[in-house]
Amino acid sequence: MSLNLRSLTSALLRRRAGAVLVALQVAIALAIMVNAVYIVQQRVTWIVRPTGIDVTHLFVISSSSLASRPDAGHAIEEDLAYLRSLPNVISATASNSVPFNLGGNIGIWLRPGHQGRELNPRYLIMDSAGLGTLGAHLLAGRNFKPEEIRPPDTADDLGDFVSELIVSRAFARALFPSGAAVGKVVYFENDRPVTIIGIIDDLRVARASASAGDLLAIFPSLPSATSTVDYLVRTRAGERDAVMRDAALHLADSNPDRVINWARPLTFFKWNADAEDRNTAICLTVITALLLAITCLGIFGLVTFNVSSRTKQIGTLRAVGARRRDVVAHFMVENAIVLTTGVLTGCALALAVGYWLSLRYGLPRLDLYYLVSGVVALWVVGQLAAWHPARRAASVPPSVATRTV
Amino acid sequence: MRIGYYLRLALKSLARTPGLTALMMCAIGFGIAACIVMLTIYHAMSGNPIWWKNNVLYAVTMDTWAPRAPFDSDRPALPPPQLTYRDASYLFQSAIPQRKVMMYPIKGVLSGAPGQRHPAPVLTRATTADFFAMFDVSFEYGGAWDAAADRGPDPVVVISHEENERLFGGADSVGHTILWNGHPFRIVGVMGGWWPKPRFYDVINGAFDKPEDVYVPFGWGPALQQLPVGMVACWGDTSHDTYAGFLGGECSWIQMWVELPNAASRDRMLALMNAYAVSQRKSGRFRRPLDNRLTRVSQWLAEQGVVTNDSRLLLRLAFAFLAVSLINTAGILLAKFLRAAPTAGVRRALGATRAQIFLQYLIEVAALSLAGSGLGLALGALGLRAMHWLYAINTVDNSGYQELTHFDPAGLAWALALAFLSTFAAGLYPAWRIGRLPPATYLKSQ
Repeated sequence: MSLNLRSLTSALLRRRAGAVLVALQVAIALAIMVNAVYIVQQRVTWIVRPTGIDVTHLFVISSSSLASRPDAGHAIEEDLAYLRSLPNVISATASNSVPFNLGGNIGIWLRPGHQGRELNPRYLIMDSAGLGTLGAHLLAGRNFKPEEIRPPDTADDLGDFVSELIVSRAFARALFPSGAAVGKVVYFENDRPVTIIGIIDDLRVARASASAGDLLAIFPSLPSATSTVDYLVRTRAGERDAVMRDAALHLADSNPDRVINWARPLTFFKWNADAEDRNTAICLTVITALLLAITCLGIFGLVTFNVSSRTKQIGTLRAVGARRRDVVAHFMVENAIVLTTGVLTGCALALAVGYWLSLRYGLPRLDLYYLVSGVVALWVVGQLAAWHPARRAASVPPSVATRTV
Repeated sequence: MRIGYYLRLALKSLARTPGLTALMMCAIGFGIAACIVMLTIYHAMSGNPIWWKNNVLYAVTMDTWAPRAPFDSDRPALPPPQLTYRDASYLFQSAIPQRKVMMYPIKGVLSGAPGQRHPAPVLTRATTADFFAMFDVSFEYGGAWDAAADRGPDPVVVISHEENERLFGGADSVGHTILWNGHPFRIVGVMGGWWPKPRFYDVINGAFDKPEDVYVPFGWGPALQQLPVGMVACWGDTSHDTYAGFLGGECSWIQMWVELPNAASRDRMLALMNAYAVSQRKSGRFRRPLDNRLTRVSQWLAEQGVVTNDSRLLLRLAFAFLAVSLINTAGILLAKFLRAAPTAGVRRALGATRAQIFLQYLIEVAALSLAGSGLGLALGALGLRAMHWLYAINTVDNSGYQELTHFDPAGLAWALALAFLSTFAAGLYPAWRIGRLPPATYLKSQ
């Protein structure tokens, strides 16, 4: 192998500003690419994370009563009876809120008198059909019994009238890290006790990155009839939209004292809850792809240009005995030196950026696996970009050397 | 004309290597486009839509939260962003502010309009008379109600331009009566198209949402016993069985703003709030460290986290991308100019000064910058269209995120300046390098 490292490095050093620029470009590209891919991968994981809810077959009708009817609770039961009587409806319930769009959270205390820890789960209030409507799996304990469901009181404070609850697995574990939660008593803000009667598999009811997103409590009550009632309806496959249309029309007509705010499939709310993560992932992907393309094209363009401006020197090399593959090797090794300098600098930069992101935005620290893959990928792609021009260089005939400029 | 000659040389040089020229233009174009898109969105998000009143408008907050923990554990330094009914009612009586408003989003239903089969929900805000003057709301017809209507409360209503289009086809509807929540209300004003972005006066319930379509005097909330539909945060064992219990409890749900024309009135207002909090402590309230605040709009927007972290992240990414594009361009220009060194050597030998060589190549850089910037602007406009579409399909119907993606014509100037200057800066070094080369080396025959 007549590859002469000294001549190689001296050739590089003669154009060191150019080499430094390429290496710098590679370094920044690597730092951006690795961190962007890592963030995109996280977002995608969040978006595709199972919800535990039969999202595609559910729809929601939001209804508000106009007048404060004394028999408002009766109206909710009428509506539920109608919805459950529909042939393509599997299950229906009335709730205070919609999964993926839950309004608030509630304070639950481990011990009475505001002692011990306070946890703030999100919450839903539903009747005994609630679990079946969501498609939630009961892991331990039992579902609500019909007689435990409190009628739609005018009171808004759950603590005043509810004495059982069902919790998500994550919430059960947060309350009682070691040991069974079923049968345990916890306390509302107003010190009223409430007993955990069941544990369900975790439901994702919010944007996946939301804090306390998995802590969920379900209370046995019909929603307060004076505010907005959200009817959750689970239908047979393929029937959702037709049932939703008919049911919304029927409910609007059946009772002049209320207004149907909207009727929407549950997928709408999941789509919205994930919107920011999805948009960010899309933007990051597009910019990173463009960045990679520009970097590779840049390397390709520069090597091509260098080959064409050194035609005479290549010819001379060939004339004094260098083989074609020596010429290819010369350009590839030259490119490799620049790339290696770039990716090594890029590693440090990527780690620094990753550290800064974790400090600034609370993102998890960059996984080294991504860094290694990024280094290998960028190095290989960078070498591929140089391959074609290097081959062109090898085809320069030795006779070029004898021609005058 | 020498510049003209240099320009001809530059165009010839660019045309000689069409591949490299295209590559540099694309690199610059995409880099600039990414920056334009992200900057436009960031700029719209982080704007202060009422900057001219930044020194007189204040959000009023008091830390009435539970003694054991801060209101928001993610931002423990901040008091609750809203007030309780009793605190807001007390502060509202003060004559210190030039203008004052307390308000909350409320359930609204419009019915009885001609051709309306079912009652229709309408976004409504219960607010006080100063709202319109304080926030510089323009009126298409009529005007605000007067302060007496708040106390009445009188059945008067202000509707948005859009609602007026829907209900009355855009005609002057002042004096007409509409049924709001089943009660007849007289229209006293129709707002002009008013949509501050972000919606600074209520960033808690959707910072980019459209403003409500109907505004009723604040007193109608309690009079009709209407619960808020926005954020409500309660603590303590106050009974919420009754509406009176809810009003008297430790629930914060009222947004309050005051207009204080000078520092003296601000100090007096703050002193009033502190004195009130201290007196309330005697009855067992305000058990957290005293933290009453009057916050300017700009600081309010920053504290409430209106600009999302993701948009900050994407903005930085766009600038990093531009940096890579520029380094790319600089590298290519350098290689290209150095190859032209023999020509430059000949020109030096024939009497051209270093400055002239520098100028000649600088003109080439400028031509490239201009072309790249043009491409960048076009791509940026396309990118904004793409973002508009992305937001439109990805967000709730009344959230105004897609409204952030409009190319702001005033922004065109800075986008062009950014594009041109940054590319020009990237070409400075290569042009300088070639100007500095000793001509003799390149004149020797091989």
